[in-house]
Amino acid sequence: MTALARRAGSPVLLLALWQLAAAATAGQFLLAGPVAVGGWLADNPGLVGRALSASLANAAWGFLAGNLAAILIATVAMLWPRALNLLSGLALVVFCLPLVATGPILRVTMGPGNGPQIVLAALAVFYTTLIPLLAGLRAAPSVWFDLVASYGRGRLAALIHVRARASLPYLLAGLQIAAPAAFLGAMVGEFTGAERGLGVLTIRFTRDLNVPALWAVASVAAAVSIAAYGGIGALGRRFLLERPPVILAPPRLSRGSLAGRLQGCVLLAGVTLALWWGGIELFGLNPFFAKRPPDLLAALTRAPDAAATRQALLGAAGQTAALVLPGYLAGLALGAGLAVTLSLAPRLSGLVTPLAVALRSVPIVTTAPLVVLMLGRGAAGTIALVALMVFFPTFVACQHGLRQAPGQILDILRGYGAGGLAQLIHVRIPAMLPAFFAAARMGVPAAILAVTVAEWLATGRGLGNLMTLSASLSDYTMLWLTVVLVTGASVLGHGGIAWIERRVLRLYAPEQVDP
Amino acid sequence: MHDRQIPARLPVPPAARGILPMTRRGVMAGLAGLAACRSTYAWAQTPVGLQLSWLHSVQFAGSYLALQNGWWRDAGLEVSLLQGGPNAPVEPPVVAGNALVGISAADYAAAAVAQGAPFRIIGVAMQKNPFVIASLPGNPIDAPADLPGKRIGMAVANTPVLQALCRLNDVDFGAVQIVPTQYSAQPLLAGEVDGLLCWETDLPVAMAVQGIAARTMLMADHGYALQSQTYVATDDSLANRRRELVALMAGEVRGWNAYRSDTDAAADLTVAMFPDAGLDKAVQRLQAERQVPLMFSPLTDAHGFGWWTDEGVQDNIRTLSLLGRTVTPDLWDRSILDEVHAG
Repeated sequence: MTALARRAGSPVLLLALWQLAAAATAGQFLLAGPVAVGGWLADNPGLVGRALSASLANAAWGFLAGNLAAILIATVAMLWPRALNLLSGLALVVFCLPLVATGPILRVTMGPGNGPQIVLAALAVFYTTLIPLLAGLRAAPSVWFDLVASYGRGRLAALIHVRARASLPYLLAGLQIAAPAAFLGAMVGEFTGAERGLGVLTIRFTRDLNVPALWAVASVAAAVSIAAYGGIGALGRRFLLERPPVILAPPRLSRGSLAGRLQGCVLLAGVTLALWWGGIELFGLNPFFAKRPPDLLAALTRAPDAAATRQALLGAAGQTAALVLPGYLAGLALGAGLAVTLSLAPRLSGLVTPLAVALRSVPIVTTAPLVVLMLGRGAAGTIALVALMVFFPTFVACQHGLRQAPGQILDILRGYGAGGLAQLIHVRIPAMLPAFFAAARMGVPAAILAVTVAEWLATGRGLGNLMTLSASLSDYTMLWLTVVLVTGASVLGHGGIAWIERRVLRLYAPEQVDP
Repeated sequence: MHDRQIPARLPVPPAARGILPMTRRGVMAGLAGLAACRSTYAWAQTPVGLQLSWLHSVQFAGSYLALQNGWWRDAGLEVSLLQGGPNAPVEPPVVAGNALVGISAADYAAAAVAQGAPFRIIGVAMQKNPFVIASLPGNPIDAPADLPGKRIGMAVANTPVLQALCRLNDVDFGAVQIVPTQYSAQPLLAGEVDGLLCWETDLPVAMAVQGIAARTMLMADHGYALQSQTYVATDDSLANRRRELVALMAGEVRGWNAYRSDTDAAADLTVAMFPDAGLDKAVQRLQAERQVPLMFSPLTDAHGFGWWTDEGVQDNIRTLSLLGRTVTPDLWDRSILDEVHAG
């Protein structure tokens, strides 16, 4: 097979598989094949074009704003390391706010227009850029920092001359993950009452049972995401030609004592509460839907139905936890496993990578019925959806991480005639660990987001259902309680991963342990 | 009106107040002054929002007719139709004042009132509740007695609706199997469920356009009395913005009467007004036709669009109590409709 045929072969194979799957499920109003999709697109170019330009513009503004915010936060954190924990904690809290609750609140405060779509797109990307960026800013040999220090220069010089360059591959990984996420965020933002866009068309065609149109919209969304993903990747290959350096850092004892960390948690909680309460007062939000901390405390303790409220909340949380944990772990294992497999068999990459990007880019609203058909309406379907959402960022981050294996060390192994597997175990996987843990931490809120969306759209159980039910019944106290619970659980889960990460990285990548 | 116009003419010197509150109040006074100037200038055109409960479609065609024909403009209103969606709030914009009137349903309005929203129902677009159980001709569900042993697909949130229907018709709810599904006809067509809890005017219409003649059992024909697509406004608006409320509802009444006289024209207008909404003309025309018996009745023929009777209110209160909602007839306020139909 010539190189050209090989490159053209995998998309053709994918299209053929897609057409076969559509033929196999014909008559079930579930999946339209590429022929039907192409026909519909050819008949409705104007409608799709206008919707695409609306969604794309919002996603692009959100992508820009979210990533700029991430770069700004990371810069501040590097210049002023004491603020790092507070800033990344606040960023995490904001990222964990469930879309189901923030969407309507943004719509009420921002009114008609594109505001909520842009903000939700920005919220979907800023954290997934921030985490790899923070890892990248530390991914430099300590001798380089010593060099900066020996010239008598400070943190700013280290940031400009060392950290900024070291972070570029990591920033790129973040931006690659961010591109499909921004598009999905903009589409979900359209669910809050936007006038036009691909998300609006998705809702319409689902109800109208217009399966070719629905999959045409999903295909356009996926194609745009794949193009953005590929474009950013190509930029990286064009400009990041340096071989990754050998990072040797002396093992350090963690400086953070238990008391210090507790103090950090209390500070974070305090600042979060102040921002929440102060924001409501500042914007003069109506108490009907904008609940303050004391309102929630009263609902849990003093209100006559406090016991029932606590029971509803904990019951739903239990149902959600049973689904989110297996899905999260499966997604991590799949993402890391696939990245490792592809590094051993690079030829498969041309087939698998587009499929992985497409799976992540097709809006969950469209794929959920397919997953349900394959796995049923029970736990397996929801777990699979969660795994799908966690899988993709992990896969991308691990692929980038594997490429960070220092060239000189690989050369030594090759010099001793070590095979691909030995290189993988001794060099590539240890080099991948910081990226893997960054992905694992990002995966916590993503998993909770996925499970609540699946519960909202498909299963009608757990916290996702409680959120939509509370919103439709104007029980905004319960809605805010679920927001606090979900956010708190995400932050705790994140903290748990960070604890494991510190123990593992102290061995394999000590430069990551302390800022 | 009084406190709004004073700051525009007599700006309070900033130095007369404390530093922090001063700047904020100064800004607010300035804004209020601007608003007052604007409303004086555009005295004939008061901007008001009408919050719709779903995406643009023929479901709101009466409003589009009123807008297109300038019936609101002639009455001095500049109406913005605020679109809804699956994650769009209906009640909060009305409470916050971004929308003068919202389109809700009796049960959602009652729930909002229980949570402290100062709402009144001022008009009823859907006299009959649009909920149906849709089934396929090979395995039909034509009466509540057919329900036991069947798998019914629905959003879990709607469980109380089916429960109420079973109570009203002495059917054993425990014998009905509830399957949580997304809001789509697909699970019924794929044979995953025997029936779907949905609206008469959406999923069955979609199936009909695809060539599948589904059976529908309208729950309103089996004792489920619950007004839908009701117009809600706040007590404050009822006290202070009556002129706008009357003008808005008068436009709605006129629009829906025009709709009834030619539903095809109303559907075509809807498709033409929203070219980016992905509306299908055949779907919209059939939906427009199927909406008519839900919105118009001998009662509205006698009293006008949007009307209700005290007996109707009692029936609604009974259904609401089956749904776990306690409400009083005070939830309904007919004074706006009285003025509309008197004038």
